[in-house]
Amino acid sequence: MAQDFDADVIVVGSGAVGSNAAYELARQGKSVILLEAGPSVPRWKILMNFRNSGRHYDHNDPYPNNPWAPTSYQPGYLQNTGSFEMMPGMLKLVGGTTWHWGGATWRYIPNDFKLNSLYGKGRDWPIGYDDLEPYYTRAEYQLGISGGDGEDQSGTHKGQAYPRRSKPYPINAEKFTYNAQKMHDALGTQDYAMCTEPTVRIHKPWDGRPACEGNNNCDQVCPIGTLYNGSIHADKAVRAGARLITEAVVTRIEVGDGKKVRSVSYMTPEGKETKLTAKVFVLAAHSFETAKLMMMNEVGNSSDMVGRNLMDHIGIGMDLMAGEDAMWSGRGPVQQLTIMNWRDGDFRKEHSANKTALANGNPQISLAEAAINEGLMGKELDARIMRDSARYQFVYSFLEMLPSPANRIQPNPAWKDSLGNPGIKIHFDVDDYVKAGAVVAREMYQDMAKRMGGTIAKIHGFENHDHLMGTLIMGADAKDSVVNHEGRSWDHDNLFVASVGVIPAAGVVNPTLTAVALAIRSADVIAKEV
Amino acid sequence: MRLTRLKRAGFAALVPAIVPVIVSVFALGLALPVLAQDAGGGLVSRGEYLARAGDCAACHTARDGKPMAGGYVFSMPMGKIVSSNITPSKRFGIGNWTEEQFARAVRKGVRPDGSHLYPAMPYPSYARITDADMKALYAYFRQVKPVDAAPSVKTSLKFPFNLPGMMMGWDLIFANSGPFKDDPKLDAQQNRGKYLVQGLAHCSTCHTPRNAFMATDNGKYLAGANVDGWEAPNLTSDKVSGLGGWSDAEIESYLKNGHAKGKAQAGGPMADAITHSLHYLSDQDIAAITAYLRTVPPIRTEGQSKPSWAVGKAQPVDWTKIEPGMVAADKPGYRATDNTDGAQLYNTACAACHGINGQGSDDGHYPTLTNNSAVGAPKPNNVVMAIVDGIHRKGADGMAVMPAFSASNQVIHDTLSDAQIASVANYVTATFGNGSAKLTAADIPQIEAGGAAPWLIRNAATLFWVGVAVAVIVILLIIAAVVMSRRRKSAAV
Repeated sequence: MAQDFDADVIVVGSGAVGSNAAYELARQGKSVILLEAGPSVPRWKILMNFRNSGRHYDHNDPYPNNPWAPTSYQPGYLQNTGSFEMMPGMLKLVGGTTWHWGGATWRYIPNDFKLNSLYGKGRDWPIGYDDLEPYYTRAEYQLGISGGDGEDQSGTHKGQAYPRRSKPYPINAEKFTYNAQKMHDALGTQDYAMCTEPTVRIHKPWDGRPACEGNNNCDQVCPIGTLYNGSIHADKAVRAGARLITEAVVTRIEVGDGKKVRSVSYMTPEGKETKLTAKVFVLAAHSFETAKLMMMNEVGNSSDMVGRNLMDHIGIGMDLMAGEDAMWSGRGPVQQLTIMNWRDGDFRKEHSANKTALANGNPQISLAEAAINEGLMGKELDARIMRDSARYQFVYSFLEMLPSPANRIQPNPAWKDSLGNPGIKIHFDVDDYVKAGAVVAREMYQDMAKRMGGTIAKIHGFENHDHLMGTLIMGADAKDSVVNHEGRSWDHDNLFVASVGVIPAAGVVNPTLTAVALAIRSADVIAKEV
Repeated sequence: MRLTRLKRAGFAALVPAIVPVIVSVFALGLALPVLAQDAGGGLVSRGEYLARAGDCAACHTARDGKPMAGGYVFSMPMGKIVSSNITPSKRFGIGNWTEEQFARAVRKGVRPDGSHLYPAMPYPSYARITDADMKALYAYFRQVKPVDAAPSVKTSLKFPFNLPGMMMGWDLIFANSGPFKDDPKLDAQQNRGKYLVQGLAHCSTCHTPRNAFMATDNGKYLAGANVDGWEAPNLTSDKVSGLGGWSDAEIESYLKNGHAKGKAQAGGPMADAITHSLHYLSDQDIAAITAYLRTVPPIRTEGQSKPSWAVGKAQPVDWTKIEPGMVAADKPGYRATDNTDGAQLYNTACAACHGINGQGSDDGHYPTLTNNSAVGAPKPNNVVMAIVDGIHRKGADGMAVMPAFSASNQVIHDTLSDAQIASVANYVTATFGNGSAKLTAADIPQIEAGGAAPWLIRNAATLFWVGVAVAVIVILLIIAAVVMSRRRKSAAV
């Protein structure tokens, strides 16, 4: 097939996005090489690491931290120069960072694609919701998502199923947990627009994955394989004929005639370099790493936008102590009930939108820690833990950021990994648009606490949520964006980027599903050309 | 998922592998076409019910294919058999068949053109179908949505199985039963059960062992057999080896839901039978099957003294004994995957559902491993196969899925090597069952392959030529004898 090439397509990165692109291409009969910087580690091994690590609140601890492919938890690998300490979770192994995530898989709503034309803020997408809708559906069926058909997810279409979908969710929404139902009833549907978080944590089996049994361990590792992660499609890609090469750190991109990318080279942990050629290249190596790789090689950056416009869903949260009735946090899904009062509307001209949700983690360790720090001991300590852990409820919000070229990542040659590759320098500030949005969210918290008959124990300040958009921004103009609507580099027509990094308008929802949908769309484009 | 394995394993056992019930439809959620207006006084819907009881769709639908359009491939030691299009397409299906021709194919394995089917189609069992039920089945298949296309793959058998007339002799000897007639020794319910068991549900094709010609060995009727690696258990009324110790409610729950607490759960081919066929049966028919199974003469499995389900008592496992010890996250030990400690692997790959003490989940959704027929059985096959293939089942009370762990099913997220599967199976049988199965890595692919095909089948090509040679010699000897005797006669004259 690829006589003068090592493959039709080389995909760099085996996370959820890269693996879905690789699978689509392999399924359509293309020869595919899938490169992964990290190792392949099966679930039982990660679980073994998790159990042996005493640090269960450190979600990255069960995962290998490879000297040749470091993660954000390698001291020094990420260095911040801005006012905000951006320290996102990132994993390097086959399947990528979705090995540990809440599993929320939302669609953007049509207005998210037209942020600038409607509200005069940020940027528009170069495509609209209808262009992406069929790919959202395909992605949902690939990932096996449970969600509420017939629900309004926009907060502005009460009583209507919104946004429009061409097919129902593969799996229906699960019944609310005790605390979600309790909050839902206390807040009331009159004033609160509530819906179910679509999720790959499924309550019915799908595609060989068992139904969730409620380990409440999504953020560390799903011990039974219910929660989707990218390794499922890495596996499917391999079964469809793709060649997976692990522990292969791509460091070099070579551009040849006609500004086409000719090859990529990867290094083994021992430093041996191998060059691979292909007709088309897809970079899907995490939004920081892909940007770093392009900047290291001065590829695809004629716009000077690579690494810039970094947006996360910077958010706030509250520790709510419910009234006399217990909430029993920590049973069942880690997230479920979502409040969309501030997802969309004219207010976006003034301040950030937000998505607010109930988080359902088990709070006992942190509550015990707080009580011990207060000096409680013995029976008093027991009583406090029992009382508080029954009534505690965490609520958190994502705020919508706007793209700013000043928020950026760059290679940091002052720090080197075991292969001599640079670390990453981050400059990130939270803007006034987000700060104004946080005020609105905090007002809502007050109202929620009142309706719940409870008190706010603490409001958490700005936190990052690992939704690293914008660094590979998609646009309609080669001068101010990195890729076009197909995910194709403006500078090299056989170079594609598949990543949440291409998303130009962050909205307030978790972006993984959108990136997978875009990757499948890019794969369809590529399949016609090779 | 299973398709890959079946292809690779190559169906080492011939007839067990060719039984429709054991072969899954793969296309989960395969829906039979919506029934047309049922003008025939319920005839069509009765036909649909019977087609489900017979599990026709399982074999006559390819993976992701259109219902009943054929194309399902049986890979067997003597070649590939591909199921046919049985939609009413006039050109590619059975649209031109009369009811008599339909009945002859279903019961006798003979097409209207006189050619013989292979017993991948369980016509030796379907021969028991009554005329009234055959009429309903015919009416149902007349109104299935026609598919005007032949299966993309064609049947191709190796020599000598591809010789015309090859099946005629086999059919004469092994496929000679007629439509079911009530057994006067049984009551009406038991007779209904017997009719279903021997006819449409064709239980015998998996649960009765095969002889050297791969026909069911009726001296060991329902005494259990190996099917594609899995042990199809003994269904006789024997109290130790069979169903004698099961209550009616347990048998009924198993057939309807695919599991019976404290007894067993269906995996592999039986999970497919539950999913595509048995869970659709009425409570009356399930009760009738149960009543009939009670009457099947007991056969004790040699050497077995305790029922498989009676083995095992939950013993607390001391988790401090299975701690592998700490390794730093940036050291090779953190990503090493060559651990073959059965206890450690069980506790990381299995115990999240089945429990450190094998106690399963409180609601019984994840079964206990003690008092579990798969674990307490004389052979470890079903433990191994459950790990290899996982469990994929839909019963009347919901779906059950256990992930597949073998590299033949997936290579990344849940993968265990053959050596690791062997050590997990040894740990499970040692801790929750009859004592360690003492398996090695080499045993796993052998169990998956379901054991070797009968000698006769493996050596058929050689035997054919030996047979021809023998026949030639015999003919020469006869000629010689005749000539000699004539000479003697003429000499005497």
